[in-house]
Amino acid sequence: MGHQLPQIELLTPRAKLAAGREQTLDVLIRVTPPEPQAVDAARRRPALNLSLVLDRSGSMGGAKIQHAREAARYCIDQLLPTDRLSVVIFDEAIEVLIPSQPAANKAALKESLAHIHARGSTALHEAWVRGGIQVSEHLSDAGINRVLLITDGQANVGLTNTDEIVTQSLNLHRRGVSTSTIGIGTDFNEDLLLPMAEAGGGNAWHVETADDMGRIFSVELEGLIAQVGHTVTLSLVPADGARIVDLLNDFELNETGRYKLPNLQAGQTLEVVAQVRVPAREAGVRLRLLDLKLGYTPQEAKSAEVVRQYLEVEFAPEEETEALPLNNAVVKAVQMLMNARARREAIAYMDAGDYDSYREVVSASIASSRFAFAPMQADADVLAELSSLEALSDTADDRHQDQLNRKRLSYRSHDLSRSKR
Amino acid sequence: MSPAMSGQLEKIRGLKYIGVVELASQAARILAEIGTTQDRGTVSEMPDERTLRYYLAEGLLSPATEKQGTASVFGYLHLLQLLVVKKLQSEHLPIRKIKELVDGRTERELERLLGLDAKAGAKNEALSYLEKLLTSPSAPSPRSQLLNNPAGDMARPAPLASAARQSAPQQQGQATWARVEIEPGLELHVRGDYAPPTETKGVRRLTRLLLNALEGYRGNMRK
Repeated sequence: MGHQLPQIELLTPRAKLAAGREQTLDVLIRVTPPEPQAVDAARRRPALNLSLVLDRSGSMGGAKIQHAREAARYCIDQLLPTDRLSVVIFDEAIEVLIPSQPAANKAALKESLAHIHARGSTALHEAWVRGGIQVSEHLSDAGINRVLLITDGQANVGLTNTDEIVTQSLNLHRRGVSTSTIGIGTDFNEDLLLPMAEAGGGNAWHVETADDMGRIFSVELEGLIAQVGHTVTLSLVPADGARIVDLLNDFELNETGRYKLPNLQAGQTLEVVAQVRVPAREAGVRLRLLDLKLGYTPQEAKSAEVVRQYLEVEFAPEEETEALPLNNAVVKAVQMLMNARARREAIAYMDAGDYDSYREVVSASIASSRFAFAPMQADADVLAELSSLEALSDTADDRHQDQLNRKRLSYRSHDLSRSKR
Repeated sequence: MSPAMSGQLEKIRGLKYIGVVELASQAARILAEIGTTQDRGTVSEMPDERTLRYYLAEGLLSPATEKQGTASVFGYLHLLQLLVVKKLQSEHLPIRKIKELVDGRTERELERLLGLDAKAGAKNEALSYLEKLLTSPSAPSPRSQLLNNPAGDMARPAPLASAARQSAPQQQGQATWARVEIEPGLELHVRGDYAPPTETKGVRRLTRLLLNALEGYRGNMRK
């Protein structure tokens, strides 16, 4: 018996389209990865091959290093004896504290962590390379091979060029080892850690306070365990006369013109919104508007799979379509993605020192969100998004908050584009 | 490195060498067989006793951990260190860089630097890629350098759209940074081209900015 396929739903704001005029239509593409079968779930999760690459530079002193140690201990507790773990610690020098080994003797592994103390500066790049080597030496075809880089600082020793490191992270991902990054506090470089994780096929996390670390670790680990597919691509072919004007998630295109999507995780529905320019049609016409192909590699397979789906729309007189109810799921997805974009715009203004425009972008987002979200006020995602925007607005005049706000903007924007609300 | 050499090393894994002379002649034998030649006048072709003493003094070779009478006893690790040093010299790496690459490496890591793996020839792409990053002459040299040093010989695909987008506003990746300790608990992160103010007005302004920033930081921490 093969594995189950991801489910794909295609949704439009209203059930029918207005006839007689050209229009731009928001199409919500919902990808729901299969749930692992309950009986098998624990036994059949992919083997993990992890390297924790942990910053112990001077600034990590006190609570941060303590929480990092606890998080690493937590990680050891969660692993199965069939998983592998290594720990690399770095400041300006790099030490392979725990060479890659099966996570069998947990007490001894945890004992080694006691030797981590904060000191020195930050040789982030080479430490990441060394963590990668620990993972690569035991590369597992069916398992998940990942480096988890934990830092509160900027790369200031060795290779520090952001684009170079990001490119290397991408190259390593193409060779089977992914990278996740955890940035702690306000001093790290989000313009390095975020793209590094994105190019590296992993997750990017921002931990504002040290005690948040344990939670992030558990989410990262659960994500790894729940991963059901990787190398996910989406291709959209519109009907003759129609065209794709925009993909609100701003996913990158790969070499073959397909969008690159995040890894598939059980329990994590991915929402993509495409804006399609639709040609005018008479009332009563049915049109196969969009053909979709989702390509992915199931976790325990080597070859790619493809799932196909299409969207058929029906046209009706405008008076009739106006009376049809709006699909809240579509409205919500569109607004969340617009807010993600607004955040990126806000960052550009902040960097340019144009704080008037920065404030305006934030206020405009709040206004349009309140309007769009009005029918779903009890929705938890909606409440979280509104309070996130309001917190930005409240601190928009406080320059001391810029560093933290810039990180919040970057990470939230990134998460919203990937349906992590 | 050839399968012949892999077989060679397999046989001598457990051997001990009494004194630098024995170690040097064993290494010379292996190098002669595999034909590593040095084409630079400054690098000695085959390791001799004097060269080994120099390597020991420079930390390219670890000190012996055993003694027999007054003679140092060397083992497989030392032999590997010596072979790696010679190999990297033949690839024109400076001594300083070689020291960084050899320092603190395990036997296994050194074997790998020599191109000998447990699964010789079956090395996966991820591993060879990462090792290339470490050994590339323009790779980072974290212990001795604070300079930004892009890996110039690396094939670079077109820049990632997102990376370019995200990093465009702040070109900090291009700069050289250093940390300066002001007092215990406080470090400054200084860009290489930063010139501190010299006149009173500028100094006062900097002091104010610094104190404001610290106050803001403490404010954030309390939240």
